Amino acid sequence: MEFATVIFYLIAAVTIGSAAMVAFSRNIIYSAFSLLGTFAGVAAIYVFLGADFVAAVQVLIYVGGILVLILFAVMLTHRIADVQITNRAVGRIPALVVVGVFLSLLVQIIRETPWQKAKEIVYAPTTSRIGDLFLENYLLPFELASLVLLAALIGAAVLSRKELKE
Amino acid sequence: MDLGNFESLRFFYPETILTGTILLLVVLDLVLRSKKSLGYIAIVGCLISLWATLELYGTLGGWLFHRMVILDNFSLFFKVLSLLAALLVIWMSLDCLEIQGVHKGEYYTLLLTSALGMFFMASSSNLLMAYLSLELVSLTSYILTGSLPHNRRSSEAALKYLIYGGVASGAMIYGMSWVFGMTGSLDYARISEALLQGEVNRLGLFMAFVFILAGFGYKIVFVPFHMWSPDVYQGAPTPITAFLSVASNASGVAIMIRFFFPAISRLGEGGNWSYIPGVEWPHFLLFVSMVTMTLGNLCALNQQNVKRMLAYSGIAHAGYLLMGLVVLNNDGLRAMLFYVAVYLIMNLGAFLVVVIVANATGREDVEGYRGLAWRGAAIPAVCMAIFLFSLTGLPPFAGFVGKFFLFAAVIEAGGMFVLLAVVAILNSVISLYYYARIVKTMFLDFPQPDDPKVEMTVNSSALLGFLSCLTVLLGIYWGPLASYAGQSLRFFVR
Repeated sequence: MEFATVIFYLIAAVTIGSAAMVAFSRNIIYSAFSLLGTFAGVAAIYVFLGADFVAAVQVLIYVGGILVLILFAVMLTHRIADVQITNRAVGRIPALVVVGVFLSLLVQIIRETPWQKAKEIVYAPTTSRIGDLFLENYLLPFELASLVLLAALIGAAVLSRKELKE
Repeated sequence: MDLGNFESLRFFYPETILTGTILLLVVLDLVLRSKKSLGYIAIVGCLISLWATLELYGTLGGWLFHRMVILDNFSLFFKVLSLLAALLVIWMSLDCLEIQGVHKGEYYTLLLTSALGMFFMASSSNLLMAYLSLELVSLTSYILTGSLPHNRRSSEAALKYLIYGGVASGAMIYGMSWVFGMTGSLDYARISEALLQGEVNRLGLFMAFVFILAGFGYKIVFVPFHMWSPDVYQGAPTPITAFLSVASNASGVAIMIRFFFPAISRLGEGGNWSYIPGVEWPHFLLFVSMVTMTLGNLCALNQQNVKRMLAYSGIAHAGYLLMGLVVLNNDGLRAMLFYVAVYLIMNLGAFLVVVIVANATGREDVEGYRGLAWRGAAIPAVCMAIFLFSLTGLPPFAGFVGKFFLFAAVIEAGGMFVLLAVVAILNSVISLYYYARIVKTMFLDFPQPDDPKVEMTVNSSALLGFLSCLTVLLGIYWGPLASYAGQSLRFFVR
């Protein structure tokens, strides 16, 4: 096996392993910290794909911003160490059967499908090309995304404001 | 037509005007003292945008903004519908006491933003745009649902809506990534080329469509993506419930028809569509349609809260709507568009009566409607009866014509679709029970001495008159709307 392949599987294992920790941990603080592994692992997978800009953004926004925010929210929550706050699994065995069947189906399909692959892999900086596309072909989605963010901002203000008294 | 960014702006006035109104509302909210006028400004913005939309009829269809959105009669139809829904809901909100404590500036801003998202849902021709527009509509809906301050039920509804919505859109975007992986493109026209000509893995494609249906089905509210709806409909402020039940549903129908018909099926002779051989999504939806309408109607039977009952009735109506989709021809699609328009009118009317009664009594349960006709509210009671009978599908109301078109399309298709028609007719009979129960409570039960009198404001009586007249009128003279729905079936493909 090639060295790069070994590294890839290592990263994938870390990503999935910490995602499992997020889902199964009984303590919500452990769950929040495990997100670090997932986010960083995804960033590493972007590096493997040659997507330098997306990888950097992933680290900046998810690891640097969102994770810290989630940790703040978790730490500031009342009675956080109580086990009752995390969700308990109910009906483990039927769930396991369903998930197992579904997973094997998906794996089977993914193996059989003839995916469209990129013809050649070029490792070149992508930032300037992304910038060009945002202002040319993808201008409308770019603007729509800013509208989504505006709506989210206004929404955050709405949900945290006090009741109106006339 | 395949236009770039600057050339497209000429065909983009409705969206531009709506965005301008949204930004204007944000700014005016800071400046104006009297918040009452914000509602009227929002209505004026909607009207101007509606006029600009109607002006676009007759122009050539085409791609705008480098094939991101499509301009054709189909998208214009749904733009008109979502503007009308926003307009009527703002009108309904003007005199609603329930939302007194809500900050009006943000409320109207988010309502219009949601309508704008619906514009893009109806017109997007690219999976990226479809996803973004769906998220815009969902995000604004979550916030509007939870906008009642210090109301436990409203906050709980918003949280449930958010969690179910997150799971549904996650499944959808996963399915979209599969479609991208198989076809190498996000553009509907290229996806269509790749799927209809090339060799595909049928099972894989079917799974991808099922994942995508999770996102669309959550907007249209069919089984098994319906669990959020009763709690959300009950917890949200009533005008928002009305908006979600008609506009969100209509835009879900739009995005679904756009993806499942022009993008992945092929139009043949006589308006019949053929699906990709071996990828049996119509049969899957046929089953879903039957289960959806039956489950919705059976759960509605025992509801004590009128909003919750209307939520289950909405699930049943989603099932009826799907009947038009599974027959895979233009008659069915036309019946669907007609039904969406009619459903908008009659369902908004029913929710308006809920608002009027809640304003006077603060109650939303069936008991609160006891002897409504004898408590100075004979007109709302009669109008409610009209809307409920129309929802059941009794003549001479608009709902009857809508259901007639749907049943006709299904029976004409023959074969196993006859079974679907039988199930749907049985369901309509079941639904008569719970709709008629409210009518009975309003007219045949006598009010208790301590039941308050119900009075209406000028605004709500005008809106009530308008909606009930339309419901009756469309039941007698449906020609124009039916031909409008027929003309709206012109898709721009290439």
